[in-house]
Amino acid sequence: MSELRSRARGAAVRLRASTGTAERLRRLEEEVQENRRLNRRLAELTDLVTELLVPLSRRDDAQGEEVLVRYRSII
Amino acid sequence: MITLTGSRAPTGAVDDDGLSLPGDAGGVVTVSFDGRYVWSFQPARDATRDGARLTIGWPEALRPHLHGRTRLTVADHHSGRVYVDQAVVLGGDGPAEATQLRVEDAHGHPLAVNKVGNLTRVFAETDDGARREILEGTARVLDDLRGAGGVDAYLNYGCLLGAVREGRMIGTDCDADLCYLSAATTPVDVIAESYRVERAMLGRGWRTVRMSGGDFKVLLRLDDGRTCYVDVFVAFYLDGTFFQLGNRSGRLPREAVLPTSTIVLEGVELPAPADPEAMLSFVYGPTWRVPDPAFHFTDPPEGVRRLDGWLRGQRDEVPGWNQLYRTRGGDVPTEASGFARWVQPRIGPADTVADLGCGLGRDAAFFAQQGHPVLAYDVSPDARTATARRLRRTGTGSVVRRLMLGELRTVAVSGAEIATAAEHRHVYARGLVGCVDAESRRNLWRLARTALAGSSGSLFLELAASSRTVPLHAPAAPAGLLRRLDADEVVREIETYGGRVVAREQAPGEDLFDHPDPWTCRLQVTFDPTVPGGTPHV
Repeated sequence: MSELRSRARGAAVRLRASTGTAERLRRLEEEVQENRRLNRRLAELTDLVTELLVPLSRRDDAQGEEVLVRYRSII
Repeated sequence: MITLTGSRAPTGAVDDDGLSLPGDAGGVVTVSFDGRYVWSFQPARDATRDGARLTIGWPEALRPHLHGRTRLTVADHHSGRVYVDQAVVLGGDGPAEATQLRVEDAHGHPLAVNKVGNLTRVFAETDDGARREILEGTARVLDDLRGAGGVDAYLNYGCLLGAVREGRMIGTDCDADLCYLSAATTPVDVIAESYRVERAMLGRGWRTVRMSGGDFKVLLRLDDGRTCYVDVFVAFYLDGTFFQLGNRSGRLPREAVLPTSTIVLEGVELPAPADPEAMLSFVYGPTWRVPDPAFHFTDPPEGVRRLDGWLRGQRDEVPGWNQLYRTRGGDVPTEASGFARWVQPRIGPADTVADLGCGLGRDAAFFAQQGHPVLAYDVSPDARTATARRLRRTGTGSVVRRLMLGELRTVAVSGAEIATAAEHRHVYARGLVGCVDAESRRNLWRLARTALAGSSGSLFLELAASSRTVPLHAPAAPAGLLRRLDADEVVREIETYGGRVVAREQAPGEDLFDHPDPWTCRLQVTFDPTVPGGTPHV
């Protein structure tokens, strides 16, 4: 019985370890995916600066709407 | 389902739910209605074993068409073994009342289920003139990609397969797919280049639809009124791995891709990969020479995960909303919602209203009818089309535009458009906040703050909410597209972005279909820059 109990305890320890490892892997994959998503966000921000904000800064208020209309048409 | 006539006792069976085949059915099975190809599948991969039989349900996209009389044929694509060959009536009508079953678009063109489960026209049901038009149009797209776009674009996927294997388009294919090999070695540069190439195509007069950071569709208008979509996919190398959208990744030497060669498809010469057979083996596997209308891609999961992370996520919900509006659009009421009637007395008589997530336009039309200029925004093209039609009937100068809260470019330009629309303006969003992920929700607050900066206008929100008796997981409609939220957490988040809740009401309310929702929350929020506190957040 004590051997059985010992084996059961060992199995429980291994299960907890594997579950903990699996959870850590899941979180690690989520964090990697979160960082991958930064690529698109950076590209979008760069596009906004170069194609919208810089042209806006070069125009006066009256021409600002033209810049907005143009940018809407190219995204 | 009613059987009218049949061949000798078939080994297959059919009803309104789907098909039943003998347990030894294998290979590829094609389904035809009145001799027209409609669908194909692989029993071993797609069907469910049920005792000694294999069963498979009708594809969801096909179900709305399954009403009426047809000659149904179900047969093995290669051996010709016939499982079903009988005249049937589907959909519950009696034989006398049943009309002819048709799987067609609004123009009467036959449709079939494509490899991703959507109904689309297929080349087998396209006449020679239209096929020529598609190929010549594809050639023009390739010319412009390689010229104005400055990329080494080439024919790929189904059209390349048809060209190499048979010299003609594959009957069960439905669109043209093009790729180009990017010189960029980082995903951010791949995306920036895709934007540039798309703009070059717009400059050449094409209409486009962006699908991800690495692909867009070019719209090819045909003489018969149909629009053929030409996919433009990026391919690139990163750390020695070749990635090619849709979802392919693995080992393919650069010499198999560039320099491009040419291939002739139904008399039209088109750029192709340097080694078309190597490319086809990479895309379809070593059995690419054997026709398989039920072919499904089995893409390496780690490559899919990387492409999803780098390039996708801004329009994941679009297919679901389009499907909802196409199948249940008639269930959405057309008159103003209770929330719109709640907001109306809280805004000035001629104030501009920006309706975010306008859906089919019931509230946008209401505000327009009350005399408010309306800017309507939605991610779903079906929603925008319906809203535009409804607003045209109001005779006002309202506009409808695309907004993807998961994509910063449309967020920023939408905020700027609203901010410059009028001195007195408000932002209205019914249900929207429960339909988007956390980052998109944060973009909503950024957009509202930009849109209302310098004004006394408000952000009006309605959401399905939780309470002591209504848990977060309590159903909210439409299921799978909208979630119930903790209103306190929403308020805290809004305050982080400089918002101040000036009115809050919580009570049982109504969902998208005006069916009872056990608990909803209505908020009126201002973004007063003089209000102290809160943590400024980009």
